[in-house]
Amino acid sequence: MSLTITCPICGKRDGYEFRFGGEDKGPRPEEDGLTPQRWCEYVHLNECVAGVQKEWWVHKDGCGSWFTIHRDSVMNVEVATLEAHK
Amino acid sequence: MFGKYKPLWGEKTQLKSSYDVVIIGGGLHSLATAYFLAKEHGITDVAIIEKNYIGFGGAGRNTAIVRANQRTQYNVPLYKEALDLWPVLTKELDYNLMFNNCGNLNLMHSEAAMKAARMTIATAQFHGVESHLLDAKEAKELVPALNISEDITFPIHGAMFHPPGGIVRHDAVVWGLAKGASKYGVQIHQQTEATAVNTKNGKIVSVETSRGTINTSKVLISAGGYSASLIYGMLGIKLPISVLTIQAMVTQPLKPLLNHVVSSGAYHCYANQTLKGEIATGAHMDQWPNYTTQTTAHYIKHQAEALSEFLPCLRGLRFMRIWSGLADMTPDMAPILDGNDQIKGFFMNCGWGYFGFKSCTVSGKYMAEFIAKGEAPDMIKPFNLRRYEQHKLMGETAELVTYTPNN
Amino acid sequence: MITRINQLPTLRVDPANKVVFDYKGKDYVGVKGDTVATALYHNGVRIFGRSLKYHRPRGLYSLDGECSNTCMEIDGIPNVRTENTLVKQGMKVKEQNVKGSAENDMMGFIDKLDWMMPAGFYYKTMHKPASIWPIAMKQIRKAAGLGVLSPDFEMPGKFDQIFPSADVVVIGGGPAGMNAALAAADKGLRVIIMESRPWLGGFFDYRTFDYKDAQYKNSKPLYSRARELASKVESHANIRVFKHTSVVGTYTNNLVTGFQIGGDNDKFNERYIEIRAKSVVVAAGCIERPLLFENNERPGVMQVACAHRLARTYGILAGEKAVFSVGHDLGLEAAVDLFDLGMKIICVADVREDGQNPYLMIELAKRNIPYLKGWVASEAHGSKRVNKVTMTTLDGTISRDFECDLVVASAGLTPINGHLTLAHAKLRYDSHTNFFVADTMPEKTHAAGRMLGLEDSLSIEVSGKLAGLNAALDCKLMPQSYGNTEVDALKSEIESFTAQSKELPGPARGSKFVTAPVKGRKTFICFDEDTTIKNIKQTIDMGFDVPELIKRFTSAGTGPGQGGIPGHNLPLYVAKYTAASSKCFSSSSSSSIQSLGATPKPTNVRPPLVPTLIATYSGSKHIMMKRTPMDEMQRADGGVFRKIGVWERARYFSDDFSCKKEIENVRNNVGMLDGSTLGKFRIHGPDALKVLQRVYVSDMSKVKTGRVKYSAMCNDDGCVIDDGVVVKLAENDYYFTTSTARAGATIEWLRYHTRFDGWDFYVVNLTDSMGVINLSGPNARKVLQKITSEDVSNSAFPFSGYKEFIIKDTIPVKAMRLGFVGELSYELHVPSSYMVSLWNMVKDAGKEFNIQNFGVEAQNVLRMEKCHIILGQESEQRTNLLDLGLGFLWDRTKKDAKTIGAVALRQAENDPTRFRLVGFEMENNGRAARDGALIVDDKVRGYVCTARDSFTLNKAVGMALVESHLAKVGTRIQIFEDECKGELIYGTVVPMPFYDPDGKRMKS
Repeated sequence: MSLTITCPICGKRDGYEFRFGGEDKGPRPEEDGLTPQRWCEYVHLNECVAGVQKEWWVHKDGCGSWFTIHRDSVMNVEVATLEAHK
Repeated sequence: MFGKYKPLWGEKTQLKSSYDVVIIGGGLHSLATAYFLAKEHGITDVAIIEKNYIGFGGAGRNTAIVRANQRTQYNVPLYKEALDLWPVLTKELDYNLMFNNCGNLNLMHSEAAMKAARMTIATAQFHGVESHLLDAKEAKELVPALNISEDITFPIHGAMFHPPGGIVRHDAVVWGLAKGASKYGVQIHQQTEATAVNTKNGKIVSVETSRGTINTSKVLISAGGYSASLIYGMLGIKLPISVLTIQAMVTQPLKPLLNHVVSSGAYHCYANQTLKGEIATGAHMDQWPNYTTQTTAHYIKHQAEALSEFLPCLRGLRFMRIWSGLADMTPDMAPILDGNDQIKGFFMNCGWGYFGFKSCTVSGKYMAEFIAKGEAPDMIKPFNLRRYEQHKLMGETAELVTYTPNN
Repeated sequence: MITRINQLPTLRVDPANKVVFDYKGKDYVGVKGDTVATALYHNGVRIFGRSLKYHRPRGLYSLDGECSNTCMEIDGIPNVRTENTLVKQGMKVKEQNVKGSAENDMMGFIDKLDWMMPAGFYYKTMHKPASIWPIAMKQIRKAAGLGVLSPDFEMPGKFDQIFPSADVVVIGGGPAGMNAALAAADKGLRVIIMESRPWLGGFFDYRTFDYKDAQYKNSKPLYSRARELASKVESHANIRVFKHTSVVGTYTNNLVTGFQIGGDNDKFNERYIEIRAKSVVVAAGCIERPLLFENNERPGVMQVACAHRLARTYGILAGEKAVFSVGHDLGLEAAVDLFDLGMKIICVADVREDGQNPYLMIELAKRNIPYLKGWVASEAHGSKRVNKVTMTTLDGTISRDFECDLVVASAGLTPINGHLTLAHAKLRYDSHTNFFVADTMPEKTHAAGRMLGLEDSLSIEVSGKLAGLNAALDCKLMPQSYGNTEVDALKSEIESFTAQSKELPGPARGSKFVTAPVKGRKTFICFDEDTTIKNIKQTIDMGFDVPELIKRFTSAGTGPGQGGIPGHNLPLYVAKYTAASSKCFSSSSSSSIQSLGATPKPTNVRPPLVPTLIATYSGSKHIMMKRTPMDEMQRADGGVFRKIGVWERARYFSDDFSCKKEIENVRNNVGMLDGSTLGKFRIHGPDALKVLQRVYVSDMSKVKTGRVKYSAMCNDDGCVIDDGVVVKLAENDYYFTTSTARAGATIEWLRYHTRFDGWDFYVVNLTDSMGVINLSGPNARKVLQKITSEDVSNSAFPFSGYKEFIIKDTIPVKAMRLGFVGELSYELHVPSSYMVSLWNMVKDAGKEFNIQNFGVEAQNVLRMEKCHIILGQESEQRTNLLDLGLGFLWDRTKKDAKTIGAVALRQAENDPTRFRLVGFEMENNGRAARDGALIVDDKVRGYVCTARDSFTLNKAVGMALVESHLAKVGTRIQIFEDECKGELIYGTVVPMPFYDPDGKRMKS
């Protein structure tokens, strides 16, 4: 495997220029009425999808942008959409 | 002398329509759980459901290192018992698990690391596990191939030496446990995929497989790197797990050169010589979730660079095979052993990261007790899932293991 | 020594150019171009080594190094493939894994003991009684392994690495590969072609036959066609040629790795090559599938191309009297050609019933070479080398013995698929070719040539050209690369070539899988691991029914040559045997089980495709660490440096690692420390304050101009990840510091936690562009005042103050009054380029006070006496802000800021079971406990973070993280150190800080 990732600013680059930033879980939950379970879910729990998932990456050795891509975790390749490679 | 050649783990049989316990996953933890369920608790009506073949996953892909020099008081006794089990099981199973009790040498590359090692060593000694701090010279006496000069990226300050550890023949454990479990009547169904776990009123009722439905009230998912995905997919339970691809490799075989397991955190590298003479080495994971078992060019090169520095004689050797497996990492590097909580009759054993081999027998033993009695034995109580929402991570590593923005 | 045939046009050696090398202490003579193996063979060496388990004699078999048969030690390096290594003047060559010599190996008797060692015998033996195992294991270890390596071995030679990019990479420099390269290069693309042999040409290179030459415009033999193509390729401006280069890995997204062996004019011995391409053509060709019969690896048994190339490429006739047992036309062709070169061909047996090339049949007949259709070799005889072979009909009813010194044996061909499968191609068994062929190809990857099953020369060339054009199309379809017209033209060109190729012969029918009708006790399916057919049967009977499992149980295919020898035969054999043996399948209706034995399943191929030196993979890597601007000056002052994170830092300034003098000098006088590794940042823009409110636990709106604010950052678990100071430069313009370790991740952290907000701010990492001098001690003010006209008195520049001023009209300084070490202290931040000047000024100014350097360890003790924490020392990642007693930093009122960590801190703040950071001193003036010692009762209750014998306080003090019930002042704590053998030492919890509790010294 040899991951490449498309940075919205710098284009397609070697995967090792980036750092993974987690499954996309959306913005953090509102604090009002927040239970420890819900907070734990946001902080620690993952769906661990074996397939395509939306996830965050940062172009660590490049422009520093945070962005999301879709990636097939079985093949370890970037794909265009959630539906791709299914 | 060797008699007739009979199937080691029983003839292939029909899948029955019900079992007392269904175990999803045909790896080491499952086989061990089945073995102890049958042997210790008399529960023999057990089916192991394996999509590929037994030992397909981490069981056959790890580099077989065993040790008990963990960091916390919850882990050390568990791994100690695991170490003690190898000779016992060799005898019980009448199968040579080839425990090579060569000892592990964990290199330290800074004063801070030496301090961290002291704590780990003190924890080991407090629990009656042998482990010592060596200086660089003493380490070199033990492993003459070490480079203890200053002119490497991470000069060696000393090492943690753990004599009770070593290497076990991983495949032998798979086959030995399979043989042992099937002798008691456990059925191992290979090439059989579990596709769903059905519940009713918060209780387990059945398991769907590619070969039909099995009625059961107790299900254990213990499928190594695939557990988290299966547990979420089948039961909607999310886990604090990230599944990563971990790689290892061997060199061409040569006559004895390394007599210990040597490892280095700073270099992300360990090396030991197998009984076949290969230098087995590994440790790297690409730092993002993956279910691929392909390897990377990046890593085999990294490994060569690392070995070139601290074991420079190995530069004259050739890598001949690199492979990879999955490691289900938790933030505190400690497993999740839980059950009868969210769903009655549902048990899980996962999150072992890259410690799944050294722990397999003991985790099987206690999960068997958990399943048989319905109550978690004290030894594994701390490894419950709720510790994460209670902000009580185990601290098996000083640093958090997360695959989110760097903290 | 055999006479060389010197006049062949196909030769790749220069017989006039002698090379003298050392074999087992004696001089041997080869010629330039010889491999070590061919030179030895020419000198009469037939037994190259002994096999791993049974110590069977082994010799030349394939000439391409697919197994360990011909591995030797060369110049101290073990396991060198002599078939792939060019002989060099003065080389020292030794045989391996022998007691005595390869010719007379004292371990040879083991071959007779195979009955003791059935498949998996290790698992069933040597563990009863348990005490036997350690002894047995020692013997196993000694017996295992081939070569020898000394622990102090130093690898000679130079190793290079390059990372070129290319539009198209072509793997394989045979006829298909060369055509592919030319086709793509002619379209203006940058092409790299990689070929493992030292020349381009592939399987055309050694063949003189021109029986199909009508298809070429000018009738010419194949070798000559190969050389014509090669010269075009090598002279093409768009093609970069890497010869003597093995491809070892292919990965997704078209990453290709390999290594090149240096030639006479190269400045490297070996060179690692890693290429990211836009498209890849794989034209790796075929190897031969070994024929399975008794003693099928006896020296004197070799494959077709081995015998043929020995003659045509190296001028060496492999034997005088040969028997052929083959399954494809190349075997017939070799028999005819070798006959013409003077070899006696006793007979040619062919396992095929039909499908032979009629032209070759005529040529065989012309030469009166007996041809046995439907016959196969069943057993080779001769104890160390072949002297006779038994041939039988396929059904085993008739057999005949033939005396000979050479058995050319080859069951069929097998494609080299590794390059495809490593890049995720899925293989499928194809019954027509009897090959595993790629079912789904990796993206932007194209296969060509013989590996598709093509045998016709022109078909092979056209398939190469087509692959090259398809690769060109991949490149041209890339976004914004080329115009539509060009793409359309290329597409129609591809269409016309596709049509043309359909006119040519397609994949040929492969020879069927045939095993000689023998029990297989000495029929080796894997040479490296001495795995026999009998072992495979035993294994299947034990219930191992998947080739991959059988591989694990028998070790077949896990030796130095990996799957090279057994890779194709094992799955075929398993399929055949499991299909035949009904007992493997008890009555079951499940089709999934029944299908297990039906079609052959390939075993996995893994990188590296060719065994590769660790030295080669390592390449020319060198160590890179960051150094501060004051690095040299501190070294000149006797600094003892350590690598800490990405930096090299001065940890001590004498051999006394307790740092007594350094510490006392700071407490009583004045010292200077290089603090340049601190993370330093500027954040500005309309939303800068909002960002700080998000990441820091304190209310950052309260940061006042001219004041320094100390605060901390937490993660979402409330655990402290960083601490540092913030100063306000202007409205929404701040300068802040982070700990050294966090510098690299800080911006990423800020951006991550504001990624949904769309805030407008700029943040700049100034860590490397700013340096820091920490000037500390009671005399610090006096020193500072000497170099600046700015009023630095306590009233003008009090504790926690911040000032900007210019030194000597030139150097802009950001100065902070801090007190990490617990004394009057200034932190001077200046641009890195001024650091040396300022350092010297401070040093000069301090001369009259005898100013001294102090290092990181002295600072560590000084701050510990003051109970100032260092993250990672007084904390681990599960330690939260409250555990550390830093709760006072947390502002609970700024809920809207969504401060990172606040949620978790609120959830955990009333938990009584958490750790607390406490100060303690040792009882009865005892020595300090060692860092990392445990706090225990019947269980572990905490651990010592940092503890030292304090020169300042004249007692041993330290900080520890303990369970909260032990945190009360006055509590006695029991300390368990490593190697204490149960002898505990004791301390008492005392108030913090230990030194100057009122902060008078720091603040005055």
